[in-house]
Amino acid sequence: MTSLSNPWNRLTLAGKVIVPLVIALIGVTIALAAVWLSGFGPWLIQWLLDTLGANIGIVRFLIATTVILLITVPIAFLNIFFEMKIIAFVNLRVGPNRTGPWGTLASVVHGLKVLAKEDFTPTGADVPVFTLAPAVIFLAAVMTLLVVPFAPGLFAFDMEIGLIYFFAVGGLSVIGLMMAGWASFNKYSLLGGLRAAAGMISYELPLILSVVGIVLLTGSLNLTTIVEDQSGSFLDWNIFRQPLGAMIFFIAATAEGSRTPFDLTEADSEIVAGFATEYSGMRFGFLFFAEYVNVFILSAMTTVLFLGGWNAPLDIDPLLNFFGIATPVTVVLDPGSLGFGLLGVIAIVPPVITLILAVAIRMLIPTWGFLRSLVVAFVLLNMLVVGLLLGWLAINLDWVLGLLWFLIKAIGLSAFFVLLRATLPRVRVDELMGFAWKWLTPAALINIFVTAAALIVVKSMEGGL
Amino acid sequence: MTSALWYVLGFAFAGFTFVFLTVGISWLISHRHRSDRHKGLPYESGIDTFGDTWGRFGLSFYIYALLFVAFDIEIIFIVLWALVYGDLLLGGFISMLLFVLVLLVGLGYAWRKGVLTWK
Repeated sequence: MTSLSNPWNRLTLAGKVIVPLVIALIGVTIALAAVWLSGFGPWLIQWLLDTLGANIGIVRFLIATTVILLITVPIAFLNIFFEMKIIAFVNLRVGPNRTGPWGTLASVVHGLKVLAKEDFTPTGADVPVFTLAPAVIFLAAVMTLLVVPFAPGLFAFDMEIGLIYFFAVGGLSVIGLMMAGWASFNKYSLLGGLRAAAGMISYELPLILSVVGIVLLTGSLNLTTIVEDQSGSFLDWNIFRQPLGAMIFFIAATAEGSRTPFDLTEADSEIVAGFATEYSGMRFGFLFFAEYVNVFILSAMTTVLFLGGWNAPLDIDPLLNFFGIATPVTVVLDPGSLGFGLLGVIAIVPPVITLILAVAIRMLIPTWGFLRSLVVAFVLLNMLVVGLLLGWLAINLDWVLGLLWFLIKAIGLSAFFVLLRATLPRVRVDELMGFAWKWLTPAALINIFVTAAALIVVKSMEGGL
Repeated sequence: MTSALWYVLGFAFAGFTFVFLTVGISWLISHRHRSDRHKGLPYESGIDTFGDTWGRFGLSFYIYALLFVAFDIEIIFIVLWALVYGDLLLGGFISMLLFVLVLLVGLGYAWRKGVLTWK
């Protein structure tokens, strides 16, 4: 039997994507029409609202889970784009510049390519372990996002022992790497997996010990409390209270995410690709998906613990008051009062503005064709509308501005990780292990006791005065 | 507390679903091609593999893991100590110093024995 006798195999790649989508779309349309014709529509909507209202906890869990799992995709794409573009700039190359503006879509194309590649299992491999390993590595990375507070009131789960949970679940990725290395039936993979285990458990000690200073100062393991403790100006951030701790944490985090200069687990000049040698297709994709998400998570964690999380560097409320903008601004607009005019506002005003903008652009830059200026005008209009909307949201909802600051810090740190990769050479394996045990762990212990002693001095001075 | 357990378990379940759904979609749209037996061999820089892969490996990995377990238990105590440190102060400081010194003696012993030097 040839592979072409099956009609499914005769479809091209685009067909394999489009045919199930069309079938699903037709099915949904028929179901909706049936519900509408039978007159059960309003009753069904009411029933849905009642059910959702009664199970609000479950609904919140479902939304949080879905959002966290789905935001990992753009985060990974962004990090891959950074990886390609920043390293290209450091190497005096142009980098990706064909797909999308400035090559921004190149990482998406990479993702789709990996999705369509052959997913191959070597004959000698331990198949269940080989298949499970990428899932374990990916989950160990993504499950830590459950406790990260992105903005005031914007978190998946506000766990009381969030810090311990973060390190406990993040440490599980060692098991996944060992599984991948062991099950591949390849000597280089086995070496890579064992190096990953030895290196990551060595750097886990300074990683956790460097944070104990923050627990001493804050007296809480809750990440939200730790962020709120750093509110005020940027001088209140933990990086200025715990400079040694921040340095140790950042170095250990680089090693935990197995990033250059500590990426001995996938040192391609020594052990091919380490634990990932035998992987291909989407299972390989998940190994590197996890790595790029891990970069963001470690940046986010550094932000939360040492860079003040969602807090702005300077308090902007006095500035807003100076310009006479009281917070929050309340705009009372009843869409119903516009009546039929609402349709006009939505359907007529945007095209008219787009046309006016396009004509203006055409007059300013005569070399452009009309279609090109039309597209640019449309993009400009959308940017304007989104900017206005975001500005309105930022003034009215406190979490929008917090999320903005958080993302600026975390994504900036991700870019810094990539810059490190482009700058520093890889260390030797004996240097890696010796550095963790002989320097970082003792330094982290000294940091703890200095902080504790300082706390005693401060408390006794308060008591004395 | 039960709520935390459900969140973690539910999230793990959702994550597994996400991973295997994606792998399944990839399996549906990707091509599969059978070839001779060299395709299934492990890639070890071009030559056919020989010897036992799942055999013995360096002892240094094991010793690092052993040291890690000792210090990991220490970390559990240190974090909890740090949590209640505001009430203990001087007494807590001295007792934790003694506790860590005992562990550092062990680390120093391992250091002198040359365990921390990668061989």
